[in-house]
Amino acid sequence: MALLTDAAKAYIGIESTLEWACDPVERGAVRRYAQAIMDEDPIYQADNDTNQRYGGAVAPPLFPSHLFRRAFGTTDPIQDYAADPHFDGAQKVRGGLPEIEPLKHLAVMNGGSEIEFYRYACHQERVKLRSRYADIVEKESSKGPIILVYTETDYLTANDELLMRVRHTRIRRPL
Amino acid sequence: MIPSTQVHYFDDINIGDSIPSLTKGPLTSAHLMRWSAAFENWHKIHYDAPFAVEHDKLPALLVNGSLKQQFVVQLLKDWTGPEGWVWKASFQFRAMNLVNETLTAWATITGKTALQDYGLVTLELGIINTAGKESTPGRATIALPFRGGKAVPYPFVAPKL
Repeated sequence: MALLTDAAKAYIGIESTLEWACDPVERGAVRRYAQAIMDEDPIYQADNDTNQRYGGAVAPPLFPSHLFRRAFGTTDPIQDYAADPHFDGAQKVRGGLPEIEPLKHLAVMNGGSEIEFYRYACHQERVKLRSRYADIVEKESSKGPIILVYTETDYLTANDELLMRVRHTRIRRPL
Repeated sequence: MIPSTQVHYFDDINIGDSIPSLTKGPLTSAHLMRWSAAFENWHKIHYDAPFAVEHDKLPALLVNGSLKQQFVVQLLKDWTGPEGWVWKASFQFRAMNLVNETLTAWATITGKTALQDYGLVTLELGIINTAGKESTPGRATIALPFRGGKAVPYPFVAPKL
């Protein structure tokens, strides 16, 4: 039986509304992020000679794509699923897109990305995104059928300047 | 590691050249936990070993794909230098990398195209572990200034090709 049903394919083309990151680009968050990726580039640290060209201190190139976190007052999945031994903790949906209900029972893995960069996000800037399901296809892997979910997301400043465009692939596979 | 401030010029780039690689690791469970916390993603296969092995049937904790792509972007950014720009990067996560592996991001120049004000350089790239196994093949396009020319425009505007 095919993994990919018409009900799942119906999500192709669905777009999110504009979604704002709950916090601006904070210096502390940039520090933790830069230390976690082990890239303590001076352009991330404070306004200095190395980042004059960028208008001051900036965040790492991929930072905007990881800025969309759980806001105050929203559902806490870790608590909601605390009694579920099968809850894997994965953030299955990003960018304001609805979860693909017919694929909910499948495990999720990161399949890769295509990214275009246009400018860095500066400290204190606010970032928003717009995303859509670009395609959903089934493929045969060495371990059986898998589903590839492609999303396209634009990350923008408050003034609608494009920071980056990401085409992301998520792999959904049976457990 | 502090990135080089050396400017690389389009004129000096040769197809087939490799850029200096970037090695990270060994990547312990503390590295993976730190990354999960930094970007607030709580997928257990990266920090909960019993869940990864017993529930998801994985051989061990997995190094996050989202962390591996950072290594590739850093490699490109640091080499491109302050007067160029990393325009595009793509990566596929073809193989798992496990906790405690040491990973090396690499890239080789595959093409160059001169535009009016700067040049575009294409690269093949990837991430190998100490056994030489490739896990994250990809491609990139970077913009470099001409020797004696201006820095690549910032913010970058996609050229009409």
